[in-house]
Amino acid sequence: MMRLNLVLLLAVLASAVYLVNVQYESRRVFTELDRARSEARRLETEYERLQVEKRGQATPARVEKLAREKLQMRQATPAITTYVTYSAPAGEDVAAGVAP
Amino acid sequence: MSRSIQYTSSPLLASRTPVWRSKFVVGAIALAFFGLAARAAYIQVVANDFFQRQGVVRFERTLDLPANRGRILDRNGLILASSVPAPSIWAIPEDVDLDKAQLQRLAKMLDMPVSDLAKKLRDEDKTFVWIKRQVDAGIAKQIAEMNLKGIYQRKEYKREYPEGESAVHVVGFTNVEDNGQEGVELTFNKDLAGKSGSRRVIKDRLGRVVEDVGDQIPPVEGRDLQLSIDSKVQFFAYQKLREAVVENKAQAGSVVVLDVLTGEVLALANYPSYSPAKRSNLTGAQLRNRALTDTFEPGSTMKPFSIALALEKGLVKPESIIQTAPGKITISGSTITDAHPHGALTVNEVIQKSSNVGTVKLAMQMQPHEMWEMFSQVGLGQKPQVPFPGVVSGRLRAYKTWRPIEQATMSYGYGLSASLFQLARAYSVFARDGSLVPVTLLKTAQQVEGVKVFEPRHAREVLHMLYLAAGPGGTAPKAQTMGYSVGGKTGTAHKQEGKGYAAKKYRGFFVGVAPIDKPRIVVAVMIDEPSNGKYFGGDVAAPVFSETVQQTLRMLGVQPDMAVRPQIVANAVEESF
Repeated sequence: MMRLNLVLLLAVLASAVYLVNVQYESRRVFTELDRARSEARRLETEYERLQVEKRGQATPARVEKLAREKLQMRQATPAITTYVTYSAPAGEDVAAGVAP
Repeated sequence: MSRSIQYTSSPLLASRTPVWRSKFVVGAIALAFFGLAARAAYIQVVANDFFQRQGVVRFERTLDLPANRGRILDRNGLILASSVPAPSIWAIPEDVDLDKAQLQRLAKMLDMPVSDLAKKLRDEDKTFVWIKRQVDAGIAKQIAEMNLKGIYQRKEYKREYPEGESAVHVVGFTNVEDNGQEGVELTFNKDLAGKSGSRRVIKDRLGRVVEDVGDQIPPVEGRDLQLSIDSKVQFFAYQKLREAVVENKAQAGSVVVLDVLTGEVLALANYPSYSPAKRSNLTGAQLRNRALTDTFEPGSTMKPFSIALALEKGLVKPESIIQTAPGKITISGSTITDAHPHGALTVNEVIQKSSNVGTVKLAMQMQPHEMWEMFSQVGLGQKPQVPFPGVVSGRLRAYKTWRPIEQATMSYGYGLSASLFQLARAYSVFARDGSLVPVTLLKTAQQVEGVKVFEPRHAREVLHMLYLAAGPGGTAPKAQTMGYSVGGKTGTAHKQEGKGYAAKKYRGFFVGVAPIDKPRIVVAVMIDEPSNGKYFGGDVAAPVFSETVQQTLRMLGVQPDMAVRPQIVANAVEESF
């Protein structure tokens, strides 16, 4: 009887220590998860910021300025545009050109 | 010897202790234990609220889960407004201990004078001072790296507007608290803002989150808003408008581009404008979204409606002859004149030459209530159904109060008022075979049903007249554009000042439709007080129309409907108002 009690006591102690350990471990892992989540959120906003920046670099105002000044381009007019219509299955495109 | 005392046989010890004493002590101790147990049970089982609350206060925290403000996109998904992180820098002046070099470096990074910064940090009584709100993320990072004592950052967001001043009247802006103040940002503030959530957590000694407690309330993210605006069309319209306003030394100008098939607003621009990023010296003139909030007498641009009503009532046919000689007509004592006297004109030519007399002669054959009904059916005197701050309804008086002279002047656009936006929308009846389009600022995929105002046949006939007006011999040959057929009507109105009309102040405007055979867009342009010699709508507003139509149709992928040849612009512009 005495021996059985001793074994049970040890088992209870072991389980208690194990419980503490598991609790500790779970909190550590949770902290890690939380950190990863906030990192994800940070990266998301960073992505958004970069998207806006990219868009800011490609506004019509800037594109037009660069095209005009750096690339010496000019505005397309119907006079210098050929419109091409796609005629589906025949395989051959028919160009409905507008003569310049 | 006999005096010695035998301690072991003390008489005190010899006397027997009564039993009740020991029992009393045992009883008292037992009672004390029982008291403790009861108290423990009371604290832990019955009245545990207080201590639990104290515990919670010490390790549980509520974290705010902020909702991101939704983005505003244009019809092609390009960003018009979006939130980016912009930390705010704050300090506890008492704790701050900067040497001179650090102070200068900080001031330089924050782009503020050293004296200002020093002043903010000097006030030691305060425990909290904003140093600068919403600084660039990059600069904030540098400041954080400097690791200054007493200087902290708070996570905040600010709005970026890549399109800048060209779209600001539509998009609007938010204040430092991220609340919409103008434009779409204000009207749709609720949708855009979302709703922040929260979560309960347990934090450890180092401030790390170790456990979630209970349910978390997830944040409701702000909804993205897709506008009908096309940022390219918007930009070009704004650019051309700005050029025209500057060239004509005008006070201001507005342009509206409507897609007549879907009722979408493709562009809505005003000049003068402002940059949403630099709002420190804003004036009311810059802030006003004139196209929606300013009304004026639409002048000659109303004539097509009067003529359309005349056709509708069967008074005339497009080829009917109307005698407009000698260029004036007297209605109950007041004389209405044409700027250039014409002889006998067909109804087509009345519009083409913009004859007041011709229009008035037709209008006087109609009943006031018929005209009033038609004007209200095309949206005059009613607020346009666009969700926008400050939209005005214009003025259209009840027909019962009209005097004959007023009925006459209203037929050519005086005595009533409308905003440029209303005017643009009203013209959709000619572009859509007689039905008025419901307008929207939000992207819509499908074509919409309009409200029928005129018979398709009559709308077509008036559209042809508009085409003639923009052609050779009309009032606005400068409205023509390469490759596309256009039609439209000019207007030039004296500005009202106080009770009368200002002598030398005008508004020139032009409202038109393109292309004529299959109308796709309505463009309305208004130039306020042009003062560089030219002031007729056909001279100041029509060129803006021409270029805007050109760019818009090209970007919408509409094929030119006319053979392209060099366009010769007629030299003399005849116009009346």
